[in-house]
Amino acid sequence: MSEHSTLRTPAQPVGLGAEVRTLLRRTIDVYADSPQAVGWLRHHLARFEEPLRVAIAGKVKAGKSTLLNALVGEEIAPTDAGECTRVVTWYQDAPAPRVQLFPRAGAPRQLTIARSQGALQLDLGGLPAEQVDRLVVDWPSQYLRTTSLVDTPGIASLSADAAARAGAFLAPEDSPSQADAVVYLMRHLHSTDVRFLESFLDRGVARATPVNTIAVLSRADEIGVGRLDALTSARRIARRYRADPKIRGLCQTVVAVAGLLAQTGRTMRQDEYAAMAALAGMPRAELDALLLSADRFANREVEGAPAPEVRRRLVERFGLFGVRLGTTLIRQGVTDPSALAAELVRRSGLEELRSVLATQFAERRELLKARSALLAVELVLQREPRPTAQPIAAEMERILAGAHEFVELRMLSALRAGTVTFPADALPDAERLLGGDGSGVAARLGLDAATGPDELRAAALDAVVRWQRRAESPLASRTTADAARVVVRSCEGMLARLR
Amino acid sequence: MAVPAAVQLVDLALKATTAYERPDLAVRLQATRARLADPNVRVLIVGEFKQGKSQLVNALVNAPVCPVDDDISTAVPTEVRFAETTTVTLVRVPPGVADGAPLDSREPVEERTVVETSRLADFVSEAGNPENRAGLHHAEVTLPRKLLQSGLVLVDTPGVGGLGSAHGAATMAALPTADAVVLVSDAAQEYTAPEIDFLRSAMGLCPNVGCVVTKTDLYPHWRQIVELDKGHLRRAGVEAEIYPVSSALRLAGAETGDAELMSESGFAPLVGFLLRKVVARADDLDRRSTSQDVRAVAEQLSAQFTAELAALEDPGRAEALVEELTRAKARADDLRQRSARWQITLNDGVADLISDIEYDLRDRLRAVTREAEQLLDDADPADIWDQFAQWFHQQVSQATSANYVWTAQRARWLAEQVSEHFAEGADAALPEIHIDGSRLGGSVQALEQPEGEKFGIGQKLFVGMRGGYGGLLMIGLATSFAGLALLNPFSIAAGLLFGGKTVRDERKRQRERRRAEAKTAVRRHIDEVTFQVGKDSRDTLRRAQRQLRDHFTVLADELSVSLATSVAAAQGAVTSDVSGRQKRIEDLKAEISRVESLATRARALVDEK
Repeated sequence: MSEHSTLRTPAQPVGLGAEVRTLLRRTIDVYADSPQAVGWLRHHLARFEEPLRVAIAGKVKAGKSTLLNALVGEEIAPTDAGECTRVVTWYQDAPAPRVQLFPRAGAPRQLTIARSQGALQLDLGGLPAEQVDRLVVDWPSQYLRTTSLVDTPGIASLSADAAARAGAFLAPEDSPSQADAVVYLMRHLHSTDVRFLESFLDRGVARATPVNTIAVLSRADEIGVGRLDALTSARRIARRYRADPKIRGLCQTVVAVAGLLAQTGRTMRQDEYAAMAALAGMPRAELDALLLSADRFANREVEGAPAPEVRRRLVERFGLFGVRLGTTLIRQGVTDPSALAAELVRRSGLEELRSVLATQFAERRELLKARSALLAVELVLQREPRPTAQPIAAEMERILAGAHEFVELRMLSALRAGTVTFPADALPDAERLLGGDGSGVAARLGLDAATGPDELRAAALDAVVRWQRRAESPLASRTTADAARVVVRSCEGMLARLR
Repeated sequence: MAVPAAVQLVDLALKATTAYERPDLAVRLQATRARLADPNVRVLIVGEFKQGKSQLVNALVNAPVCPVDDDISTAVPTEVRFAETTTVTLVRVPPGVADGAPLDSREPVEERTVVETSRLADFVSEAGNPENRAGLHHAEVTLPRKLLQSGLVLVDTPGVGGLGSAHGAATMAALPTADAVVLVSDAAQEYTAPEIDFLRSAMGLCPNVGCVVTKTDLYPHWRQIVELDKGHLRRAGVEAEIYPVSSALRLAGAETGDAELMSESGFAPLVGFLLRKVVARADDLDRRSTSQDVRAVAEQLSAQFTAELAALEDPGRAEALVEELTRAKARADDLRQRSARWQITLNDGVADLISDIEYDLRDRLRAVTREAEQLLDDADPADIWDQFAQWFHQQVSQATSANYVWTAQRARWLAEQVSEHFAEGADAALPEIHIDGSRLGGSVQALEQPEGEKFGIGQKLFVGMRGGYGGLLMIGLATSFAGLALLNPFSIAAGLLFGGKTVRDERKRQRERRRAEAKTAVRRHIDEVTFQVGKDSRDTLRRAQRQLRDHFTVLADELSVSLATSVAAAQGAVTSDVSGRQKRIEDLKAEISRVESLATRARALVDEK
């Protein structure tokens, strides 16, 4: 967890990442005669250097592609009213745009890039979806530089194949998942969602960690049937889910995001703003009557309003809620396009999601990568056991047991699952100190990121004392005392980093 | 809906049976009249949660009856029906109604409470009544609305998390009692796999299925979604109409009296479906069955007159006629025999059906048991109990409801077979069989959690000491031969070792015991479910058997009596003299035309609508 660059001490040569890399190389040496194992391990070694892979999963039409576009800030994933994404599609950063298709059998082939109205069109070139293993889209983008995104077909899709493809990618039966972390989208929490989230918690090495999953209440604008306060409602629901012990045990946190609003806010064009402003200039009653339904808005002839084609495009891009919100904002005095775009993005909840992604995934990149790599090593050891691999197994065991990062992860999941309990006032404190809200020192101490080192040190010392007392309390049960000691160890680690 | 014309016709026919002294024919007509007296047409509104079911009901009756919220869902089914005044009644069915009592006296006693209209939300939504802690069976709302006046009853069901869950199974069991089912799904997305599965099985259980796509005001692409849905329905072989509607537009339109909004809301076709297809179909069924019954009665009444008339008009053929009638009577009497083919079909069929259904149920539940035991073997029951119990109940309810759907379908098929075999002897209409699954397995208690022993520090210490003592003594005595004291390092080490091992063994033993207990609980529960559900479905089938037997026996009796009177009439005609004969012929013609007019009215009942 040495990602927090500002506080990173140069004198920290062996991090978890380095150890795991060494382990991978040693395993490759031991299995040098098995081309399959070597290929697999090399792949994972290479993966260490790549950006973090975040898969976007969820039921059909949960808004996965829309959210992906919102995160990237460009319309690169095609979206449609019907079920759209039918094959697993990777989006990664590259100097030049390129789309590659990997069939199940045969060599990868390059597809031509076609765009219509700014959105990318992905055409499988006549190949049926079940014969395609994956699509890889290279795209020059700031966001993709640190995180590769993977768009997956919907679960509980009527085309059972598509659902199966998503399942095989995210929760394969026989090998660790290809994704390092998952953003799970849902419209409301259905039983299929819970089942899927459970299946993603893998067994074995890093032991059921809800740590690499974030749940997103997507299409938040539709929860309140497009009323202006819909997003407030959505946030309230997200808060309720966050407090639900069953969901806490399955994912890190729940965030409400209006994907369409975020996507459009990030890609808003001048002409769209002009149309919106013209609408806002109409008499109130006329506008309200127009905004009663999407059909009315798109088709009705009204004097003084933009032409129906313009409105049709507008409602397609913003959704009825987006138009309602946009015109209201303009009326309230937001008068330039960039301010409106920024306000739409702010209200959509995208910023919150991005900051959660940054604290939960980006800062934990090394750890999540190490975890994926250890899962890969474990698989090799299981598949091809041999006596020379004994030391490797022992080393892996040592890393797992010894690396405080993993201990923290396990303790966090134990706290979230409720197997270890603290008094109600100490629980949030413990979760925060263990890195539940972000692994930076300031985040752990619940302080502002700009806090000076002296203040941080004082707060950390305070925490050490507080938790030491808890750990030594004669009334504490053994599990509680053990857990308190883990927290103390985390605080000491912070002090060490601050020195 | 009670069709007034139908009721009048039945009353008239009843009078005719008294006039012609045929009380045996009156039995059937009285049953018909009783059926007409119940005017309700139940429409179940089902779907996954948060699709706008409650809002749809509200928009249909144009009143905020069912609570609507962004987050909180409906927890208790709500029935909305017609009455002159607005009232809210809560219905509670107390659990544990005495078992083992004879079949029909086991009807549970309902507790009914009338509450203030505004307090409905406190009882039916998840907020006021989480997971239905108040134990309500359903709530009834009455409203003075024209739409409901036709006898329409709208049932707003709790939204289900995935139609495969426990709620879903309950919905499934309620299907055969409904006259129509409306599946609600919003325009945000096309149908998902569970929804199509639900529709497919609903088609088999309920005559009228409609699909509603809600919230069309919010989604510009709703037309595309509807087209996609139509494709899904076609591929799944489900013949149901899709009605895209916007509840918000209808409510807004009703508020401002804006006819244009009302028409844009798309409710007109849906209301049309409810009135013209659902209500009218129930209506139509009423008319058709009434007409058929009355026509059958008229035919039997006129049979004796026509026979006598034929004998009078052509005395030379009288003998042949009597002979023919006697043969027909013999055939009708055969139908009354226990050895009649339809009787054999019915008895054998029900016996086969009972054993098939029981086998199917056992088979399904066995699979559940196997899976459950596997799960318990893989984990410590103490850790996973809550999740396990929930999963287990869901599996069991799914298995029983699947079994039940099958029962209903097979029973209907059997009825058709019986009627076919009966019709070989005489014309007969198929009666409506009532298969009621609402009490399916209702009195089975929930899975019990096995009481584990506590294994706290005290017990651990005690168990450890016990084991340690043995070890200490054993090794201490052995080493004392070597001249060491009883308490020496070896014996103490042995004591600790033995103590630790005993504690571990004890822990393992307890886990094994928990497992064994949990498995026993599972088996006991499955056993109870098999017993209860088995009994319930056996009862259901026996009831259906009795219904069929009674129905066809009555038919056979009527036929036999009619033919007997016809024979007597024909024989009597031969003996009468010439002068009386002419007068009798005229009388008879008059009687026949009178009965004929009854039949004409019965025919008109079907044609006139």
